[in-house]
Amino acid sequence: MLPPLVRKTWRDDRRAIIGWALGVGVFTAIYTGFYSQFQGAAELKQNALPKGMLDFLGIADMLSPAGYLQATVFSLVGPLLVLMCAVTLAARTIARPEEDGGMELLLANPLSRTAFAVQRLVAAAAAITLVAVMPWIVLSVLVPAIGMDVPAGNVAAACVGLLLLAWCFAGIAFLTGALTGKRGAVLAVTGVLAVATYMANALSNLSDNATWLKYASPFYYFIGTDPLHTGWHPGALLLLAGIGITTALTGVILFNRRDVGV
Amino acid sequence: MLYGMTSDTAVLTEDLTKFYGSQRGIEKLNLDVRTGEVMGFLGPNGAGKTTTIRLLLDFLRPDRGHARILGMDPRRDKATLHRQIGYLPGELAFPGRETAADLLRFFADARGDVPWTAVTSLAERLDLDLSRPVRAMSKGNKQKVGLVQAFMHQPALLILDEPTSGLDPLMQQEFLAMVREARDAGQTVFMSSHVLAEVQSAADRVAIVRNGQLAAVEKVESLGRRAVRSVEIHFGDPVHASEFTGLPGVTGVEVAGPVLRCTVDGRLDPLIKAAARHEVIDLLSAEPDLEETFLSYYYTGEGTSDAAAAGA
Repeated sequence: MLPPLVRKTWRDDRRAIIGWALGVGVFTAIYTGFYSQFQGAAELKQNALPKGMLDFLGIADMLSPAGYLQATVFSLVGPLLVLMCAVTLAARTIARPEEDGGMELLLANPLSRTAFAVQRLVAAAAAITLVAVMPWIVLSVLVPAIGMDVPAGNVAAACVGLLLLAWCFAGIAFLTGALTGKRGAVLAVTGVLAVATYMANALSNLSDNATWLKYASPFYYFIGTDPLHTGWHPGALLLLAGIGITTALTGVILFNRRDVGV
Repeated sequence: MLYGMTSDTAVLTEDLTKFYGSQRGIEKLNLDVRTGEVMGFLGPNGAGKTTTIRLLLDFLRPDRGHARILGMDPRRDKATLHRQIGYLPGELAFPGRETAADLLRFFADARGDVPWTAVTSLAERLDLDLSRPVRAMSKGNKQKVGLVQAFMHQPALLILDEPTSGLDPLMQQEFLAMVREARDAGQTVFMSSHVLAEVQSAADRVAIVRNGQLAAVEKVESLGRRAVRSVEIHFGDPVHASEFTGLPGVTGVEVAGPVLRCTVDGRLDPLIKAAARHEVIDLLSAEPDLEETFLSYYYTGEGTSDAAAAGA
């Protein structure tokens, strides 16, 4: 039997979890489903857009199936949706109840501070994982069904990268919430970090002098390694997971050391 | 005071101090609540009552000093301790959007071994409809949900922050009956209030805080005895003020013909003995209530403006 607090967290967040999971799933399905109709248009688009613009958007080529998936599901909107979900749910673990006052009765549960933070974290991480693997589930069905020529292993590698990118930012969001108890701080810190590191990765594609920038970006370790063409990059994936886990555990430790609800 | 505690002590604080930046929350609080008693924790808003309670529950960490609850450490033993504490927050907000029944089922599951009949009988007693979502409830009904979750696991210690706020008078009486029953069952109750009447009828002792510091701890009945009361005596014939001015505890003597008005602090006996030398037609004594006694603590200190606030 799962701990009551974990079940309570899921129950309170169930609308958001179902909504995000459906949204991400539908988004992935629609974009992937467009592949066959899109071929002509893609050619036009590829020719119409300047090379620099394509590089910035992370679109290597839109004609190959792998390039198409990278340009649509894995470039901008996919990670954006998944990260918004990850940050929202992570902000609900501590920061939101602390701001709206519900924290006192949650924290009055017979759990140590650490156990409380861990259970909230695990519940949110499971929900975020569910949403972040939706593209994987959809693509596992659609890629073979439409006959896109991308190896299942490469799709899996990219999807796991997306999941671990979500973990990475969820960890940062959880840490910020556990430390400050302020939802505004969570959204500001993760929002600025996401935009800045996305830009860093994108800009490093444009200039030869700025290639080092990408190494500072989680987006590089997620998609810059080109998993749809080249498959698994365990080092990059482990780094993303490591950032997520380290920040989350730091949050658990720091939450045990501060005043709550002041 | 002995360091540590015995099983006679449910709550013990020593030198408990909490500042918010440079602002004082509570300072050098030395308090003991005995096992099985009802202690009222009185003071105006902002005196440090909620700060103290949050320190006891380990939501806040003290800058200095420490607290022992049921012989345990609020931080280290939080998990064990909170199973034996029933807590009602002063600013009640509930997590989630569920019905009262679902929310209370969560609290019951989290604490373990809470029979559902304990919940339903409390709800029935407080006339609370469990099928409604808590968010949509009135303040009074939310307060009832808060009380049900605080009492439902029959905790050894009840920590109640402003428990009667939002309750109508009938429900306040019901609540006070619940407090008395809890005491009869051996539970300890520590309840804060800025309304004195409710504490007067249920508490054994009261601790009074003012400006973050403990001003007094008194038994309720002795607080009544040493209460300042105003007395008016109508005599058969005019009397002289000088007969009464020197009496112990008697101040503010005013004489208008056969009518004496004065203030008595403590025992009435000296005044009565002096008055008996004359024919007494009528004697009026204003009921010694905690409110006045409470205010007298404030007037003796610097904070007369606090006293006005406390008189609400």
